[in-house]
Amino acid sequence: MNIASTIFSNLLAGDPREGRTVWLPPPDSNLAANSDQMFWWINIICYFFFIGIVIALVILVVKYRMKKDRPFRTDGPLHHLPLEMTWALVPLFIVIFVFYFGFRDYLNFMTPPKNSYEIAVTAQKWGWLFKYPNGATSDDLYVPTGRPVKLSMRSSDVLHCCYIPDFRVKKDLVPGRYSYLWFQTDDVTPTGWGHNLFCAEYCGTGHSNMNRKVYALSQPDFDEWLVAQSQWLDKIPEEELYFRAGPKLYARCQQCHSLDGTKGIGPSWKGLWTRVSGGEGGDGKFVDGAGYQSQIGAGKQYQTPEDYIRASILNPGEHVVAGYANAMPSFKGQLNDKGIDAVIGFMKHMDEFDTKGKYLKEVPPAPKVSMK
Amino acid sequence: MTTINLSQPLDTAARPDNYITHTRGFMSWAFTLDHKRIGVMYLVSVLVSFFVGGVFALLVRTELLTPGQTIPGVTADVYNHFFTLHGAIMVFLVIIPSIPAALGNFIMPIMLGAKDVAFPRLNLFSYYLWIFGALFTVSSLLLGGFDTGWTFYTPYSTTTPAGGVIPALTGVFILGFSSIFTGLNFIVTVHKLRPPGMTWFRMPLFLWAIYATAIIQVLATPVLGITLLLLIVERAFNIGIFDPSMGGDPVLYQHFFWFYSHPAVYIMILPAMGIISELISVHAHRHIFGYKFIALSSIAIAIFSFLVWGHHMFISGQSPLLNTLFSLISFSVAIPSAVKVFNWMSTLYKGNIVLNTPMLYALAFLVLFTIGGLTGIHLATLNTDVHLHDTYFVVAHFHYVMMGSALIGMIGGLHHWWPKITGRMYNENLGRIGCITVFIGFNVTFFTQFFLGSQGMPRRYYDYQPEYQIYHVISTIGSYIMASGFLLTAYYLLASLFGGRLAPANPWGGRSLEWQCASPPPFDNFSTQPRVGDCYDFSAIRWDEKEQGYVVDRALDPTLNPNLAAKNSH
Amino acid sequence: MTTLQSQPNHAGDPHGADGAHDGAHGSAEHAKYPFLQHHFDTPHHQFDSAKLGMWLFLATEVLFFGGLFVAYAVLRNRFPEVFSYSSHYLDTIMGGINTCVLILSSLTMALAVRFAQTNRKTGLIICLILTFMGAIGFMVIKYFEYSHKIHDNLVWGTTFYVPPHDAAGEAEAKELSVAPTVSVTLNPVNPAVFAVPTLASTPAVDASAIKQASRAPAGMATPTQMAKAEGLPTGEHDPSFAHPATHLVDKKMPANSHVFFAIYYAMTGLHGVHVLAGMVVIAWLLKRAIRGDFSSDYFTPVDVGGLYWHIVDLIWIFLFPLFYLIH
Repeated sequence: MNIASTIFSNLLAGDPREGRTVWLPPPDSNLAANSDQMFWWINIICYFFFIGIVIALVILVVKYRMKKDRPFRTDGPLHHLPLEMTWALVPLFIVIFVFYFGFRDYLNFMTPPKNSYEIAVTAQKWGWLFKYPNGATSDDLYVPTGRPVKLSMRSSDVLHCCYIPDFRVKKDLVPGRYSYLWFQTDDVTPTGWGHNLFCAEYCGTGHSNMNRKVYALSQPDFDEWLVAQSQWLDKIPEEELYFRAGPKLYARCQQCHSLDGTKGIGPSWKGLWTRVSGGEGGDGKFVDGAGYQSQIGAGKQYQTPEDYIRASILNPGEHVVAGYANAMPSFKGQLNDKGIDAVIGFMKHMDEFDTKGKYLKEVPPAPKVSMK
Repeated sequence: MTTINLSQPLDTAARPDNYITHTRGFMSWAFTLDHKRIGVMYLVSVLVSFFVGGVFALLVRTELLTPGQTIPGVTADVYNHFFTLHGAIMVFLVIIPSIPAALGNFIMPIMLGAKDVAFPRLNLFSYYLWIFGALFTVSSLLLGGFDTGWTFYTPYSTTTPAGGVIPALTGVFILGFSSIFTGLNFIVTVHKLRPPGMTWFRMPLFLWAIYATAIIQVLATPVLGITLLLLIVERAFNIGIFDPSMGGDPVLYQHFFWFYSHPAVYIMILPAMGIISELISVHAHRHIFGYKFIALSSIAIAIFSFLVWGHHMFISGQSPLLNTLFSLISFSVAIPSAVKVFNWMSTLYKGNIVLNTPMLYALAFLVLFTIGGLTGIHLATLNTDVHLHDTYFVVAHFHYVMMGSALIGMIGGLHHWWPKITGRMYNENLGRIGCITVFIGFNVTFFTQFFLGSQGMPRRYYDYQPEYQIYHVISTIGSYIMASGFLLTAYYLLASLFGGRLAPANPWGGRSLEWQCASPPPFDNFSTQPRVGDCYDFSAIRWDEKEQGYVVDRALDPTLNPNLAAKNSH
Repeated sequence: MTTLQSQPNHAGDPHGADGAHDGAHGSAEHAKYPFLQHHFDTPHHQFDSAKLGMWLFLATEVLFFGGLFVAYAVLRNRFPEVFSYSSHYLDTIMGGINTCVLILSSLTMALAVRFAQTNRKTGLIICLILTFMGAIGFMVIKYFEYSHKIHDNLVWGTTFYVPPHDAAGEAEAKELSVAPTVSVTLNPVNPAVFAVPTLASTPAVDASAIKQASRAPAGMATPTQMAKAEGLPTGEHDPSFAHPATHLVDKKMPANSHVFFAIYYAMTGLHGVHVLAGMVVIAWLLKRAIRGDFSSDYFTPVDVGGLYWHIVDLIWIFLFPLFYLIH
């Protein structure tokens, strides 16, 4: 645990942008500028009062300290109505001003412009899914610059909160409701770098690992990305699906399913394919006592092991492996058939990946698809 | 010289019977109805809980030294349990009961010249409720713990597999009733057991603060009770009130919860403010400035505290109209607190300040409460709160007010009344060192967290982006400094019990009634009738060398010397 | 002012073991009134304080129930049709009898206080017994109401949608996994692709998913669809007709009707717990009355016990119209 060296190396893994102050990260949205100005003004008020109070305290303590050679004072005043009114009303006026400006800017934050570009956001334990109007989905948030973007958000399970510090926006995602937030960013993010997007409402074990990135692209670049993203799975040849798409899709599963045999919230995928195909470990059971092999096979509920995997992804509660809780959300609508094929292929070829899901062999040059 | 000597001689053999020695044995304590003994039992219980909660805090801070796992065995899940327990123990077992139940129980009846609180049996019952609540909370640890955060937000709290949630909720429910009955007891005591001559505006300000606190305890805590009950039922029977798929609303829970929990934070701070009034006036040997304003501001804070709960929910999807109202009213709550701070500072003006340990704690309170209160402005302002909600900025803010103010006030009061409660003086030098160490450690720990939050680091995070690490390391170092300050304080206070100088009746020169009885007090509080005068008139006190304490000079005290005109009263 | 002359040494005296025998402490008042506790000056002082204490406790009870009243208001506001429909399942006559019983018991309690104040021990005992019997009567009627509803599965949560226990219901219940007690996680409400966000809080579920719906909390189908899928009769029914699966086959039943019963049981259940507590209090008062503890000098426990009983009654007087009368 060499803390010192990790601190410094982490400091250097920093932010290529300029404009970070001691208090705030660089403001990168239209709302950020106003928020920062308000923050700055409040800070000024705080410095004024705090420094004033501390100086006053020091002077009072020094001047009125009881000393042997000083006479014991009994002449301290007991009350002074004008003074009381002053120090009650002056702060009151100040805070009313602060309230007003905060309120005005807040109304702006709450009112997305009519022509905003709308992106649908789903949060679940513990990841995000961003869905674009053309059907493309992404794990990270890509936005076009120079126009208002509205996030239309929902949660599949518990409370989450979408927080993008650089844009100074935040909103809770409440299951059963839709919530909105909007912003406009004008700066393209440097290559290979994205703004942080955090979950800011405690949601369990993976709460601090729900981080994603926000990439801002110029409108033409964004349009290009959008088209490629909606087709990225389709463009991959069938035989390359498992190593090009598998690891990327696995990122959404890794919170609960390990690749090295460690029992997580869900079963490890190590040796999974062998188990469900009737090989080693194939005598496993589901929670209702039925054995794998009694459900998987010709004439049974799942004709093939592929069928079983597919059903587990789309309707996970149907058969839960013994020793685990019914905790997996359905990925219906998030993973199309090609995606499922990619995941199944990934499982079949588990030995070609390391325990983090990285492909161990050489990846042949990709067809012309831009992927970040 | 015509002095009234109301204290006992220093000779131990001649020391009369006091509340500790009056009866002996475990049963005489377990079934006592003596408010002083109950107060001492609360004090021990609360301080032990503080130690436990502090251990969890140190575990949290140590784990946060590096992103990812730091302590072997502490996974994200274990960490989540740590911060939940830290919060729940500190809020429900320590801060809320600490000043009213531990110090208030002991001091209040004596300050009133009374023999006990209005309902001594209810008082003992409250203490047993605290014990049961604590036991349930501890039992939850053995049943799987709970990892919901001390706020128990739904739907996570109703669906988390952690097995200790219902026992923990039951424990907190029981603790709530302990708080309610304590408050009920205090309200009746203040109304009915004041001595002749002690009108409302002649009460010590500590009692005004306790009274305002008791109002909140009685009115707000039942709402916590029903909220927790609904949560237990929701979790056990899935009635669906907070479950959206069954027509319920998770945000409804937040409204219920914060309707209590916001007034709860004023239950925490108001008694501490009452203590500060006592500390500053006594240790500056100066009549309190603006008595009526301080007294009435306590009541104003109590009333306003019920109107602002929604400021915890600005981001939750609450309507803009409600957000606006809550923001506006939240600002107005700041004003009575500011008034108090200015009045206390004015009490130092033309005073005779002694920089002993209680005074140092009072000064620390003034600085830390100013920071805590001012940073509340960032959070009450709607647009800055969007950025800062649920980040470390909030964590820093509430630690400044709950720990840096309420807890510091409690420890200051503990030092102030330590001679009275235990009959011993602690080592003054160590006291000052302890206070300064805690002050420095506290600021290093928590001021750093303001930056952490405004730079965007969310709270309740086990793992974090590497660029935040330097702040976490500094904050953790601060926490170790603070912990060592507390350990030093514990050491010299405990040491004083075994070897400290015997305390006179009035070591500080106070004028409220508790300084007129012996240290420690006799079992029925006063052996001669206490005289009610102006409890903030320090003009008549004199240091007595033989006594090593203060005494009242009869010639100078208008209540004792009818020839003197009464000083300008408030 | 508490008089505090120097006391005889009471070392070894367990301080106020029950507060009632302080006669040895100098004061004349304390000698005359054995019940007078040492920290009060006069019986009147003690009585006043006890009364203030009890009123404060009543305030806490008001706030305790207040939370549930707020929940009622919120739910009624969200689901007005559920409340107007489901309230028909409550038996107004039984509720009305209960109301009368409680009001009468409040009367007998007040009379008990009066009898205690005027030293009439027999009257006091009779009235306490009558009050106690009223409480029993209330609980008996409540037992019948509850058991009838529970039998029909007119209860909270997912059990509402499980056919009640008769032959058909039993077979059905075996196949379904009935009312999970602790849900480990919420299944996603409607995982289908969403294009245009709608603000409905209860998503519609199509008939093919009914089997799933009746098993898990996610997505409640309207019970008529459910009944159809399970082959139960689906004709028009008068809801007051006590057919076991009535609510499940009634076409008119709005979605989320279980909500009404959740809040009904929560509020009347909590009230029932307070009635039971009140019975314990009255029984204790009865015991002390028989023992002869009360007189015109000292009737405080009867008075404050009466106050508690009155608020239990008062809360019911609010509950009754809210659940039984308004539609």
